[in-house]
Amino acid sequence: MKTLTLGAAALLLGATTAQAEYPERPIEITVPAPAGGGTDTSARMLATLLEGELGASIAILNAAGGGGSVGVTQFMQARNDGYSLLATWNSPITTVPQMQPTAYAPDSFVPVASTSQTAYTLCVAPGFPAETGEEFLAELAANPGRYTYGNDGIGGTMQLAAERIFQARGIETIAVPFGGAGETLQNFLGGHVDIYGGSISPVLPYAQSGEAKCLIVTSAAAVPALPQAAGLEELGLGDKETLLWRMVLAPAGTDQAIVDRLIAALETTVNSPEYTEFLAGVGEVPNVVTGPALGERLQGEFDALAEVAQSLGLAQ
Amino acid sequence: MDLLTQIAGSVFSLGSVAAMLGASLLGVLIGALPGLNPVMAIALLLPLTYSMEPLIALGMVAGIYNGSMYGGAIPAILMRIPGTPAAIATTFDGFPMTQRGEAARALKIACWSSAIGGTASALALMTMGPLLARATLHFGPAEYFWIAMFGMASIGVLVGDDALKGLMAAVLGLLLGTVGLDNLSGIPRFTFGEPWLLGGLDLVVILVGLYALPPVIALAEQADLKGLSAAALKLGRARLGWAEIKGLIPTWLRSSFIGIGVGILPGAGGNIAAFLSYSAAKSASNDPDSFGKGNPQGVAAAECGNNADNAASMIPALALGIPGNVVAALVLGALLIHGLQPGPQLFHQNPALVGGFMAQMLVTSLLILLVGGAAATRVFAQVQRLPGVLMVPMILVLMAVGVYVINGRVVDLWLMFAAGLAGYVLEKLAFPLAPVVLGLILGPMAEQSVRRALLISRGEATELLTRPISAVIAVATLGLILWPILRAWQRRRQGATTI
Repeated sequence: MKTLTLGAAALLLGATTAQAEYPERPIEITVPAPAGGGTDTSARMLATLLEGELGASIAILNAAGGGGSVGVTQFMQARNDGYSLLATWNSPITTVPQMQPTAYAPDSFVPVASTSQTAYTLCVAPGFPAETGEEFLAELAANPGRYTYGNDGIGGTMQLAAERIFQARGIETIAVPFGGAGETLQNFLGGHVDIYGGSISPVLPYAQSGEAKCLIVTSAAAVPALPQAAGLEELGLGDKETLLWRMVLAPAGTDQAIVDRLIAALETTVNSPEYTEFLAGVGEVPNVVTGPALGERLQGEFDALAEVAQSLGLAQ
Repeated sequence: MDLLTQIAGSVFSLGSVAAMLGASLLGVLIGALPGLNPVMAIALLLPLTYSMEPLIALGMVAGIYNGSMYGGAIPAILMRIPGTPAAIATTFDGFPMTQRGEAARALKIACWSSAIGGTASALALMTMGPLLARATLHFGPAEYFWIAMFGMASIGVLVGDDALKGLMAAVLGLLLGTVGLDNLSGIPRFTFGEPWLLGGLDLVVILVGLYALPPVIALAEQADLKGLSAAALKLGRARLGWAEIKGLIPTWLRSSFIGIGVGILPGAGGNIAAFLSYSAAKSASNDPDSFGKGNPQGVAAAECGNNADNAASMIPALALGIPGNVVAALVLGALLIHGLQPGPQLFHQNPALVGGFMAQMLVTSLLILLVGGAAATRVFAQVQRLPGVLMVPMILVLMAVGVYVINGRVVDLWLMFAAGLAGYVLEKLAFPLAPVVLGLILGPMAEQSVRRALLISRGEATELLTRPISAVIAVATLGLILWPILRAWQRRRQGATTI
């Protein structure tokens, strides 16, 4: 991490002279999600901070639909002059292409930088007969087909994240896809589904008040905000980690000097106190992976999810 | 008491009042311009306010949201062009009133109805928010299925004279609703390999085309070069008498109730609230045949219903952290950026801010009377004096801009024009358009809910009926279908005895 930062800083020093004038006009960031959602809110917050850092105004264009693939496909036509960027979460790039034909692949873009990440969590009602992650999985394994779990979309990253765990333990549950984490939460709180499966931030207040018992997070390590939830490492499933993470990508062929300028600006803004504080409020942590390392992360996740999608019969 | 003074102080501070007043005016304008809609305006403007005082930003949201719901009624009444999709039901009786020379009266009724619906809704938000939010949790997929069926049963009230054509229109809407990625199986339907169809047909694009384009074409057909004279407009002279207000009170009560009910349930929206309020008013009327021919009750029901949806739609967002529509999601996003954590503790985290926003929803509802009554109706209605040769291209440009901004896709423009031409042809063939809309909105809701309910019940269809709330809504649905038949039969019997 540190070497990367230093490397980027060194590159930046060489690049500033060549690209001193970038950016000289407004930048447009495509967000492949509807206004008001998690990806949109974090992109807008990042944009307001980036404006100060880059000295150019930034416009957000929401292009929702198709699990994010609509906006990303639209972005394939963007010009690679550095004034069109994509702020997306991982699912449209690594999950959606498993199920649908898409006009893009993980390597269709110039990876700029990842910004933040969070785990998904599985929560049950207080009366559920399990108090730890291990007991939870044992209860599910002992009662195949008995429990329903809500997720935020068929073949979505959340479902694949859960299925990777369930398959490793030979667990059979009934997946009920909803329109988003809010809808899943509503049905979980109302007792219509047994298990909440989704991102941490919507369910966090209910975990704190005791209305939800969150027993597993899909990251290798445990999450401090959810003390009762086990990380996958302690369950012996460390290699099944699946995260929700966000990144900024540029169109293929974007000038390296511009990419470096953006990387430097993103590293400063993402790690700024304002942004980390904002992220903490939504249960996310900053994690800046840049350039080729980001490309490898995308490809690695794509390959791992291809495997589970294949075995679920969801792959196209 | 301390909190109340604090809230009053911040809500009636200069910045907040200016934001509410300015945004209400802007909202009426956005609502009145076909194609431009409040969701879009709020999404564009809210980020600009991130660095300002939160109550200035939220006052702006409240003003635009409430103002636009009334603004949509202005072109709906004057030109049969709904300014927002939620104003579709307002055209049914509003435009016939204009044709009878009662435009001013219709606008006044719309203004009062919007203000009353909005106020009732804001009061519900302030007093019963957490309670109502908890109640919505009892609504699972099975209940949502029956709500969608209940809505569809109201097609029976809205079909018009030819029931068969009404049913055909409803089926067309249902078919259009199936386009896109199936949310439960992940399989694309009727997308023809086109990525832009994966998300389904954008509701707003279709509604703008289907409802706003046919009247614009009709306007073009008149080839009007002169426009109305100021005298023909007859504005500002209508007074609502006490007798008329008394007659409208039951409709206002009923529509406020329906609008709040629809509002708190995530997924449905102002257009459904307006349709249901309208069909309820028609069912309750002693003279249902006068609806669609300029009955003021129809205007009151639709406008009160769509405004009553607004503040109520904030209830699940503010009380539970579950946004029911895009505006609520944007408000939560803004609160997050100001460091608040949405969830049941939201109100306790910052009662002055959350309570202030609720108060702003109330104040902006009342502002409709001022902004709508005094300024907007007189100013915006003057647009009607423009000759058709100017008005038609202007409206077309506005519609195109509004539709393009939604997703930034050129293909949506073609979709809008295709929907508009289809609407024009359907109208010429005397097909009612309302069932198309209901099918398009409620079809996907019914299909997805019933499939989720069956997943949960492991395929047991009887569980759709054995849950208490489902059973009640199912019986109500049956009642809604049988009601017109029963009344017709009753009237025939009465007719028989008098002879």
